[in-house]
Amino acid sequence: MRRVILAVTGTIAGLVALLSFKSHVPSVPVAATTGGSGGSSSSSSSSSSSGGQTTTVPGEFPQGSLAGQLPAGETAVDGKAADTAYGPVQIQLIERNTKIVKVAVLVQPANTLHDIQIGAFAFPKLISETLAAQNAKIDAVSGASYTSAGYIASLQSALDQSA
Amino acid sequence: MPGGGVLSGSLGSSGSGRYRHAEHVMGTVVSFDVPARAREPRGPAGQIGGPLGEAVRWLHWVDATFSPYRDDSDVSRFGRGALPLADCAPELAEVLEGCAVISARSGGYFTTMPGGTFDPSGYVKGWAIERAAAIFTAAGSAEHSVNGGGDVQFVGDRLWRVGIADPLRPGRLALVVAGRDFAVATSGVAERGAHIIDPYTGQPPVGLASITVVGATLAETDAFATAAFAMGSAARDWVESLDGYEAFAITAAGAIWQTSGFGAYLG
Amino acid sequence: MPVRPKNRPTRVGARGLLAAIITGGLVVIALWWHGSPGVHGLGGWLTGAGEILGLLCGYGVVVLVALMARLPPLERGLGTDRLARWHAMGGRYVVSLVVAHGLLIVWGYAVTAHTSVVSESATLLTQYPDVLMATVAGVLLLGVGIVSMRAARRRVRYETWYFLHLYTYLAIALAFSHQLAVGASFVGNLAARFWWSAMYVTVLVLVLWYRVAVPLRSYRRHRFEVLGVKAEAPGVISVYIGGTRLDELDAEPGQFFRWRFLTRSLWWSSHPFSLSAAPGSDVLRITVKNLGDHSQALARLQPGTRVFAEGPYGAFTPADSDRGVLLLAGGVGITPLRAIFAALPGQVTLIYRASSERDIVFRDELDAIAAARGGCVHYLVGSRDEIGGDPLSPRVLRSLVPDLDEQDAYVCGPAGMTSAAVRALRDAGVPRQRIHFESFEF
Repeated sequence: MRRVILAVTGTIAGLVALLSFKSHVPSVPVAATTGGSGGSSSSSSSSSSSGGQTTTVPGEFPQGSLAGQLPAGETAVDGKAADTAYGPVQIQLIERNTKIVKVAVLVQPANTLHDIQIGAFAFPKLISETLAAQNAKIDAVSGASYTSAGYIASLQSALDQSA
Repeated sequence: MPGGGVLSGSLGSSGSGRYRHAEHVMGTVVSFDVPARAREPRGPAGQIGGPLGEAVRWLHWVDATFSPYRDDSDVSRFGRGALPLADCAPELAEVLEGCAVISARSGGYFTTMPGGTFDPSGYVKGWAIERAAAIFTAAGSAEHSVNGGGDVQFVGDRLWRVGIADPLRPGRLALVVAGRDFAVATSGVAERGAHIIDPYTGQPPVGLASITVVGATLAETDAFATAAFAMGSAARDWVESLDGYEAFAITAAGAIWQTSGFGAYLG
Repeated sequence: MPVRPKNRPTRVGARGLLAAIITGGLVVIALWWHGSPGVHGLGGWLTGAGEILGLLCGYGVVVLVALMARLPPLERGLGTDRLARWHAMGGRYVVSLVVAHGLLIVWGYAVTAHTSVVSESATLLTQYPDVLMATVAGVLLLGVGIVSMRAARRRVRYETWYFLHLYTYLAIALAFSHQLAVGASFVGNLAARFWWSAMYVTVLVLVLWYRVAVPLRSYRRHRFEVLGVKAEAPGVISVYIGGTRLDELDAEPGQFFRWRFLTRSLWWSSHPFSLSAAPGSDVLRITVKNLGDHSQALARLQPGTRVFAEGPYGAFTPADSDRGVLLLAGGVGITPLRAIFAALPGQVTLIYRASSERDIVFRDELDAIAAARGGCVHYLVGSRDEIGGDPLSPRVLRSLVPDLDEQDAYVCGPAGMTSAAVRALRDAGVPRQRIHFESFEF
């Protein structure tokens, strides 16, 4: 019985120690990239009403600007950073002959591992489905989820800018 | 640049002479799809002029006046009791009246007092977008749309096609809706955080993952969508009872339902 | 027969193994630390705790499997019985961590998403990759844990328990994919995913090698088969196993093998039995007490039955020393000690404790060995009432072996007798490090 108590209290104490050290760590510093060839003359970068921080996060989906590595005939257009409840989302479209061939994520919320998780498996799908949605020849997308909203808004703005 | 822009064909807009603009305002991105002439005449420093400039200025004014996140906005000061209604912008009274109508028609599920503080945002955004679209109509445009972060007002007797995002599968479209001269609004659970609270339980509503309402004008359509989502499973009967509004919903379990007249809008 | 001197092969001691396990755990925690951008709010704390525990579980099951993988350095250094005890304790801990991990993650996600725990569970099960499989795995582990509890073990047949326990392999396989797919510390960290997978693959290879390939190879080389069965005493039988090139096994007195007799009822499990005589060049002898289905089946073994023998195992091998040696046997614990008694040079005393005269095994053999090698055998027979006290008291021990506190003591018997004897030896002045014991619990 003594061993059980020792194991339980030791585990809890260890967890509390680890977590409290990490709760003093400030959120990851912002490193939003807005490169790419799609500059616009409209207003400046987003004002985040939530105060969330963002960073480019390594992941499986194309991340970071692809503008510098494009073959001939492809152009990169950056959407504006669009706000979500937990931070801005910004995407970049790679277009060839009026078709979107690739989508890269420039900025996504990364306050917690959960954010990164959502991004890591949501964004590849979001991206592949953008390419499919394009075939549906729609004029707009209506939706409510936060990543979608930010993504859609950013997607919309990227399209808007290049039109 | 001219509407023969590189993407206009792929998005199905109706040919040359169109212009798309994205404006970051009200905590989201508002997208405009308007005739190219709507930008003119340009302002003295080269800024966007014409009806588009007016619409953009309108939205920023709404943001400054109605934002509950800014302490100095009319809405915040009115909500604190620091500013009597008579001294507020006259549009606030109009908004309050609109909210009261929606609230009554939704049995209280739409409320300007979510969580105890005064916040008419559920109505304001749709109303502001609707008014922005009206600016272009008044300037003579026959075909345009304004999309406020997923809630859209379409003007023009042509078939507009809207993809509805699948709330349960990020990135997928659940379906495509098509209509003429109509408004589309979707309310649902954000992937993180539910901003809509059932005023009767004080908790986020259960039952629906998202609900899309179509109607003629965006202010009411958007507010009805918010109320319907707060109602959860009871929304179906309620929207059926509303004249001129149809709905399509995806439940939290992934099932779908639609009101009897929604079939006319399937794209 | 003197003990053959030989080079000591690698053995890992208890302290070394514990240090290695703890170091691994710290590396795993460092992985979480490195990947976590910061913990904020109740949801963040709950999720963070769930993530840490999840990583420790994924590491813990690997350690548990490795403990039972029959790795020779561990078997030699710690002994099979201690490895089994560590595995049991660790297993209880890991199963608890698995449950805690699941609960904390669901709760943490629900808090962060401002949804109910129920709806968040549904979301996790349906939307997050492989979480459903991992949940099944968790339930399997919990079930195995419950069935392995002492209270349940008594009511469940060994066969049933054994097969249920095999499901842990299935659970580990099911849970593996969700670790890499959803594990927050692995997102975007290719190196971490690589090393984590390498850890699993390594243990898998070790298990396949030492638990499957080595016994097969040993069988091909030695062709073990049953020569015959002899009754030694009521309820006690000896099984003689023959084979080729048995001296290559390098078995030492006191060691045991795991025996898998290839008959229809016995083939599916292997049981450990000590050699009860020094290994010959073509014969091995084990002596078994009739304790259950399995031992009864042994009595019916036919000559010519093929056997898989894995081993030798066991840390119960006295080293040559100048000091005298005391061997304390209780009940069936006489088996390895009889082999040691015959082989160990120098001054050796054997004390054989049995509840009745009928339970004494090998009496003639033991007397003959004592006469031949000049050792002493003491038989402490009778129940406590008959003797008027515990015969294994410090006073009795000192009277039988006057310079006890300068000798090495080796104790073998049922768990209760072993712990009582160890206590008595300590009270009689024998230092802890000179007491060696092996108790048969499994």
